[in-house]
Amino acid sequence: MGWKEAAEPVLTRMPAVRRPEGHVPFKRKLAWTAGILVLYFFLTNIALLGLQTGEASDLFGEFRSILAGQQGSLLQVGIGPIVTASIVLQLLGGANLLGLDTDDPRDQVLYQGLQKLLVIVMVVLTALPMVFAGGFLPAQSSLQLGGLSLGQTGVQLLLFAQIFAGGVLILYMDEVVSKWGVGSGIGLFIIAGVSQKLVTGLIQPSTGGFFYNWYAIITGQITVGSIVGGDGLSTLLLGEGQIVALVTTVLIFGIVVYAESVRVEIPLSHARVKGARGRFPVKLIYASVLPMILVRAVQANVQFMGQILQSQWAGMPAWLGVYSEGQPVSGLFYYLAPIYSPQDWMWWTGAVTQEWWMVLIRVAIDVTVMVAGGAIFAIFWVETTDMGPEATARQIQNSGMQIPGFRQNVGVVEKVMERYIPQVTVIGGALVGLLAVMANMLGTIGAVTGTGLLLAVSITYKLYEEIAEEQLMEMHPMMRQMFGNE
Amino acid sequence: MDKGQNTGGLMSSAGLVRYFDSEDSNAIRIDPKTVIAFGVLLGVLVQLLTLAVA
Repeated sequence: MGWKEAAEPVLTRMPAVRRPEGHVPFKRKLAWTAGILVLYFFLTNIALLGLQTGEASDLFGEFRSILAGQQGSLLQVGIGPIVTASIVLQLLGGANLLGLDTDDPRDQVLYQGLQKLLVIVMVVLTALPMVFAGGFLPAQSSLQLGGLSLGQTGVQLLLFAQIFAGGVLILYMDEVVSKWGVGSGIGLFIIAGVSQKLVTGLIQPSTGGFFYNWYAIITGQITVGSIVGGDGLSTLLLGEGQIVALVTTVLIFGIVVYAESVRVEIPLSHARVKGARGRFPVKLIYASVLPMILVRAVQANVQFMGQILQSQWAGMPAWLGVYSEGQPVSGLFYYLAPIYSPQDWMWWTGAVTQEWWMVLIRVAIDVTVMVAGGAIFAIFWVETTDMGPEATARQIQNSGMQIPGFRQNVGVVEKVMERYIPQVTVIGGALVGLLAVMANMLGTIGAVTGTGLLLAVSITYKLYEEIAEEQLMEMHPMMRQMFGNE
Repeated sequence: MDKGQNTGGLMSSAGLVRYFDSEDSNAIRIDPKTVIAFGVLLGVLVQLLTLAVA
């Protein structure tokens, strides 16, 4: 228990956003949420000072859509550091290495402090290579600021300071939404980013926009070959026509909303009040889609490492990675890169430069990582967020409910929960992983990626449920007591 | 209404960061308005400086 005492003075003093005293009216909550959202969009539009224009390549690459933020803006790092810090905490907590009991108030404070400290460390670790290594954020060679003249290093430090401020700000914006608003800031930023890309992908008035492409196809600006014999069909379905992408996007929406309602319901009855009945739902995507972002973030971090190695190490062996235009085209980092679009794997169309067996290995690795990773992180997630059999049994017991036909005892409820929760979690996690890979392989509108789409839809659904619950509580103050928030 | 749907008020919808009710009395408390004000000021400052440099 040594580290707790040593770290306590630092961890308990981490600045935190004040909690509201008493009940915050629903309208006020919406106002805070909207305010933070506007601030988020504002900050993604402020370009970093001292950045050389037009030469940066995004280190986040294809992961940008789930990590939020904007390349070259104050919110350069997005929620990347928060996600990475969360992975570290999940792994430490899941393996029970922390020795923190989240029911103990003192440990809760330590946990919160540790979480914040880890995010700040991750902001530094993400921002450092972005600014100081490679050409990810090339600094201007000199900058005149009033009377102050900055050299290359000075400008780099200035860039770093701005990115750092933006990264820490995102953390506190999330805290404001979590404590004063509806849902969570991270969820909000993910939805904001994905929706923006989705809408852009549909209506942007240039090549790539779904409606524009079809306008061009109909007016003959994009030539489509013969549908029967030539590659016309492929152009319409996978190419400029984007029909498959549209179908996939709509399908994912449908599947997620449907899967949200697939559940095992455990009947409950009240121990004292006769006739008061309830149900405890164990949802198919019980651990939700969020563990997916953790798997993707692991992949993203592996790819950053590849990018940084490639830019720093001239003699990188070919088996490790061969890069062309910033993308891995062969070697270990190629196989570890997830599939983003149909062009990445449909080797028969000629868009792929690799051999077919290389593509197959990459697809196999991607599917394995997502399915296995999805299941593993879902288990950790359930454990660390108190959704496991033990925690839920305690919650049911505390609310005075019991499972009809069983003794009123925490251990008994836990036994019943153990029959469902672990299995449902693993199946759900693996299923969501598979879905994300399939969506990526078939492509999505605006290249939001399958994971991005899954996240956006399920977070929106959760948000809807939460808003419904808020409104109910707003209308019936009695409900507030029942849900435990005064 | 599911009375059993008592998953606790602990978790936020995207619970990547968890906030608990207990807080240490030593902790520095920030007003949410301060966070927004800081964000707006940072944005405006960087934008103004960028315009001044160009």
